[in-house]
Amino acid sequence: MEEVLYNVLGAIATFLVAFVVGMTYGGLNRKITARVQNRKGPPFYQNFIDTLKLASKKSAIHHGVMQHFGPAFLMVTSVMSLLIVPVLTHNQWFPNLNFHGDLIFLLYIMVFGPLGMALGAGQTGNPNSAIGITRGLSQMVGYEIPWVLALVALMIQYHTTSIVGLMAVQAQSGTWLMFSSPFAFIAAVMAMLGMFSYSPFDVVIAPAEIASGPASENGGKYLFTMMSSGSVFAFVKLTLYVDLFMGGADNIVILLVKTFALYMIPVLYSLTTVRYRTEQSIRWFWGWPSFFGLLAILQAVIF
Amino acid sequence: MVGTPVLFIAIPLMAAFLIPLLGMIWKELVRIVPGLVLTYLLILSINLLDHVLAHGPIVEVIAGWGPPIGINLVFSALSGFLVVLMEFLGLLVWAYSYRFKRNVDYEPALKYFLMLMMLITGSVGIVLTGDIFNMFVFIEITSISAYGLTAFYKGRNSAEASFKYVMMGSVASTFLLLAIMIIYAQLGTLNMADIANKIHLMNPTLKIVSYIFFVTALGIEAEIFPLNGWAPDAYAEAPGPVGAAFAGIVVKAAVYAIIRYTYTIFDLSGTFNFLIIIGMITLIIAETAAIRQEKLKRMLAYSSIGQMGLVMVAFGFGTEEGVFAALFLMLNHAIIKSLLFFSGSYLTYNSTDKKISEVNGMSKFLPITSLLFALGAFAIVGLPPFAGFWSKLAVMTAAADSNMILIMALVLIVSVVELVYYLRVVNRVYFYKKEADVKPKRPTVNALIVMITLGAIILLVGFYPDAVTGLLHKASAGLMDKTQYIHNVLSVR
Amino acid sequence: MNTIYIIFLIFLGGAVFTYFAGKIHKVLQDILFLVSILVPAYLFFANVEIGQNVNLTLGGISLSWGINYFSWLFSLIVLGLGSLAAIYAVGFMKGEKRRGYFYFNFILSIMAMTGILLSRDLVSFFVFWEIMTWSSYLITIYNGNKVQSIGIKYFVFSAIGAYAMLMAIVMVHHITGSFLIGDMIHAYPAMALSMQIWIPIMFLMAFGVKAAMMPLHVWAPGAYSNAPMAYTSVFSGALSKMGIYGMTLVLVTMVNHIPQGVWFREVLAWLGGITAVIGTLWAIQQDDAKKLLAYSSVAQLGYIITGIAIGTELAMLAGLFLAVMHALFKGTLFMVVGAIEKQTGTSNFTEVTGLIRKMPWTFLSALLAIIALAGIPPLGGFVGKWMLYESLITSNHYLLVIVIFFASTAAFLYCYKFLFGFFMGQEEKEWAHVKEAPAVMVLPMLIMALFMLVLGTFPGIILNPINHGLQALGYADSYKHLWDTSIILNSWGNKVVLQPILYSIAGIFLFFIAFLTWKGYKNTRFISTKDISSSGEVPKEDENLTFSVGFMQPFYRAVEPAMRRQIDKYYNAFADGLEATFEFLRRIYTGNGQTYAIYVIVFVVVMLLFKDFLF
Repeated sequence: MEEVLYNVLGAIATFLVAFVVGMTYGGLNRKITARVQNRKGPPFYQNFIDTLKLASKKSAIHHGVMQHFGPAFLMVTSVMSLLIVPVLTHNQWFPNLNFHGDLIFLLYIMVFGPLGMALGAGQTGNPNSAIGITRGLSQMVGYEIPWVLALVALMIQYHTTSIVGLMAVQAQSGTWLMFSSPFAFIAAVMAMLGMFSYSPFDVVIAPAEIASGPASENGGKYLFTMMSSGSVFAFVKLTLYVDLFMGGADNIVILLVKTFALYMIPVLYSLTTVRYRTEQSIRWFWGWPSFFGLLAILQAVIF
Repeated sequence: MVGTPVLFIAIPLMAAFLIPLLGMIWKELVRIVPGLVLTYLLILSINLLDHVLAHGPIVEVIAGWGPPIGINLVFSALSGFLVVLMEFLGLLVWAYSYRFKRNVDYEPALKYFLMLMMLITGSVGIVLTGDIFNMFVFIEITSISAYGLTAFYKGRNSAEASFKYVMMGSVASTFLLLAIMIIYAQLGTLNMADIANKIHLMNPTLKIVSYIFFVTALGIEAEIFPLNGWAPDAYAEAPGPVGAAFAGIVVKAAVYAIIRYTYTIFDLSGTFNFLIIIGMITLIIAETAAIRQEKLKRMLAYSSIGQMGLVMVAFGFGTEEGVFAALFLMLNHAIIKSLLFFSGSYLTYNSTDKKISEVNGMSKFLPITSLLFALGAFAIVGLPPFAGFWSKLAVMTAAADSNMILIMALVLIVSVVELVYYLRVVNRVYFYKKEADVKPKRPTVNALIVMITLGAIILLVGFYPDAVTGLLHKASAGLMDKTQYIHNVLSVR
Repeated sequence: MNTIYIIFLIFLGGAVFTYFAGKIHKVLQDILFLVSILVPAYLFFANVEIGQNVNLTLGGISLSWGINYFSWLFSLIVLGLGSLAAIYAVGFMKGEKRRGYFYFNFILSIMAMTGILLSRDLVSFFVFWEIMTWSSYLITIYNGNKVQSIGIKYFVFSAIGAYAMLMAIVMVHHITGSFLIGDMIHAYPAMALSMQIWIPIMFLMAFGVKAAMMPLHVWAPGAYSNAPMAYTSVFSGALSKMGIYGMTLVLVTMVNHIPQGVWFREVLAWLGGITAVIGTLWAIQQDDAKKLLAYSSVAQLGYIITGIAIGTELAMLAGLFLAVMHALFKGTLFMVVGAIEKQTGTSNFTEVTGLIRKMPWTFLSALLAIIALAGIPPLGGFVGKWMLYESLITSNHYLLVIVIFFASTAAFLYCYKFLFGFFMGQEEKEWAHVKEAPAVMVLPMLIMALFMLVLGTFPGIILNPINHGLQALGYADSYKHLWDTSIILNSWGNKVVLQPILYSIAGIFLFFIAFLTWKGYKNTRFISTKDISSSGEVPKEDENLTFSVGFMQPFYRAVEPAMRRQIDKYYNAFADGLEATFEFLRRIYTGNGQTYAIYVIVFVVVMLLFKDFLF
């Protein structure tokens, strides 16, 4: 019983860290983007202010039960994947379900939330939400291909399908997988561009076009939940990449350095490009990224 | 024993003379008496068959002249089976035709029932006789009745169809006579057993020529391609029940004759392959022609031709299994195709063109007839658990045991074609809207009983094939054992 | 009398009596129908002992009926789903025409499937196979739409398959002299090589048709969507599994024994993968829910085929588990469509929207089934998917993993389309009158949804019979080394423990539901879906804002080049060509007596010319 309690407490602690880090990164993103565009930009803690404001608001209306469930689904996904991805190695304060954290499980639990959210957004009846969702799902099919190619390459090269297993491989050999499986890393990073849906892959929310898409009918607490879940999820994704390709992290500082470095890739790439149409982005993912993914598999098979 | 095989010939002939006289007493008698005759003959044939299965074949000598000089009739398991089948179908055709068209006068009715009876008698004679010239006579009796029945409706088309039939039939007679002449000139005998005994003495070339003439002559009656040009027209223009009689009775007799010549009389090599080849060609051409037909009866006619082709193929395997399969097919074909002709006639009763499109939506008006037609269609394409399946399985088994894989594949591919056109019609009956100007006609009670009987037999054979397989096995064993046949006939004094 | 005979007698008699009972009273017909499905199902599970055979002789052929652990597994699908679908059918068929016809064929096809599973010899296998084909064909054309195109196409493909099987059966009989399946399996290793290759190919053709395997799948979308939904749930859920059943038997008992078997497996696995992709892509494209689910069935069967074709222990577990799951979720989904069609009169996404508040229970079942279909934890579909991926990776089928993964990711698109199309979106006035389906229809769906939920956490409930079945086929016991009641492992020892996952998900979910909804739902008021922020304008009540036409257009544009070629077109062109040839052949019969006379002469002349060759 005590163990369960510790686990729950640990999970809450993990969640708080993820929330803070994710929010800060989001704020930094806005700041950096602004500076590159030669604006002053909001302070890096602007996201905290926004969420606090949203959380304090009261909603007056709803469109049905699923609208309530939608953000909850999203949150479940973020927390579940947070529990499965090992945050820090050798640290008892981040004990989670990662002892059986399996990659394929993670792949599937990661779509649980978006799909639930999509249902919630669907019930609002706003056509923009549905349009955004169809774009998002289509784009997901696009970037999942290089992503899975990369993961399969790792799995077959190191004969394990678990995240912990892959981390153990790196600890044993002392080399990060981004060096020993470079093609997989390239493919995975390219897929990550899609996962973050920053420009050029931001057709999903396209604020000026479809009024932020899925989120368009949500305000107040709903939007707060969605935003915080998004931040946590961003942290999870970055941590996962660090775990898979950069040998994980022993303490929080190393984790922050590594994740921030990774985070800069989609942020900076987004500054240099303009929005793709959905089919363009799908085809983009099935082009070079998938090619690198195939190279990765080839490498895994040959070596 | 309750009778002798000669009664199968004698009673109907006698009745044929008496019926017009009886008709003077009461007009209805011309309709009733043929039925009574057929009923009696059916009972007789069943009794004889029962006896034969227990005690071996009966060889009946006519007029005291023993074989090989005199005429003799052979009632074995094989011929007995066919006779029972023919008499049974004959009875059903009679029962079905009874008051088939309400407005038929005395005169046509007299002709119709007389000719029907003679058609059956002739066919039974072909099966029973042990003498090739005698067979010629019976073939003529059958053919002439058939010509008359084809031309029963006095229209232009019927006359044309009948004329084509007459033309082909006379060609057939010519070739048959030529073949008989060659045999008689060579061997000096007309008795089948005796010919079979002496066939090795014959000039090989003449032997082949006479076989070819026989096959040509009988092939015209047995609807072998390309000799079957008359068949679709005759089936289409004759009254519905006559189609059943043709498919169930006449063709069976002709096929029996070919088989008797091939299996018992001639000892040529390659005849079995020949049967397979012509059977396959007939099957393929007929079934592919059937799918493109616009008239129901023509479709059934082509289907019938195709089935007989398949029977030929099965006989062509030359094994006992093959013969068993072929006999099973003949049985099923006789029952099922008759049912199809019977029910199909009512589905297109009032139409002049007998177009397939005229059966649309008939299920609402003729539920039982439609159901039986569907049953027949399902059975004839060989879907279990109906009768057709077991014969198809038997054919396939026999083919596999003879290593005829290509033949199997072809037969099965053709079966798919067959399936398509039958299902198309059944779908029309059940799922299409009735055409406005078509007036459905409810079947008479006797017709309904006949059709239900046939349907019941289909189900019975389907669920319990043992009801017939024992008999068929004996019959096929009898056909395969040539020396026993010769011995049986020639030992009679 | 043996229970097996009694079961068949009840089925047969029940079918006939149910048909005629409609003439007396409709309720009596319903009751008889239920009795003739449920009673044999009960008798089967209660009284039929595994491993006991009854022998009988029919038409000189010795037949043998009995059950082993492997077929018992499939009988769970057939009779379980069959019973639930039968209950559903009573509600579905209320007030419909041709009830007797439908019930008759429904019972017969359940009987035929049971018969297939009971058959220990090839003849009764074939007989039941054909009965299954024609009874399902008759239901496919039940509503009278497109009988000539869809119905005949289904039957022709089935017949081609069945006849291939018949050829194989008689060839086996020629070699072994017996029709018993056991004898065939014994004799197989000693057969000639050509037979060893052709016999499985011909069997697989038959099973591939029923399992809707590419390129034999073209009948499936039409047939699945054209049959009444009460039957399609069985059609897609159970009947297609007969193909899987046969395929598994062929693969395990024959193909495994020859060195060329590995090619069979590779080809089949790839065909399965391609089937999955094609089915998924076409499903996304459909606007009719029935068609969508039909294509989705094709795709799901592709996964199953891949699983059993790979043939390792884990892959078999995966394939068979997916087969059970597919029966559950696809059965439910077709029932959902049926319920919606019954209540609204259409099953088209572009017509009906916003049913969630009108049909909440139907929505709940649909939601659970869709989650299971998409393979998202914590429902059962995930377990199957997980095992399938693991088995593909550990057996070195790397590209196939990607193919399958692509199909299953793209499946999210049609999953969402299904839920959104029916239940979400604008609530139009047109559908304001719609009520929840009657309890007799909702209950079976909910029961199956519950099963899916339970199986997601405790897959051992089904993995146990699968394990027994596989052991009956000669596989090793995989308990504890591949699965435990709620733990699944791969061959490398990586595992997923399902129970804590379920608890965590449930816990987090409840927490956030409470946090968000407790006050949120009470303090907010419901407003109609017209009251939305639409660029600052307030849409009027009669303004239609539903987004459902061209729903997945962006994705479709991306994959369009791949979808331009359809196998169906080639088949149709082939059929047209054949008909033209037949038309040509038909003209041999000119109807002219002189021509016919010439034919006779030509025949005689040709015969005489070639007489030395012929005789």
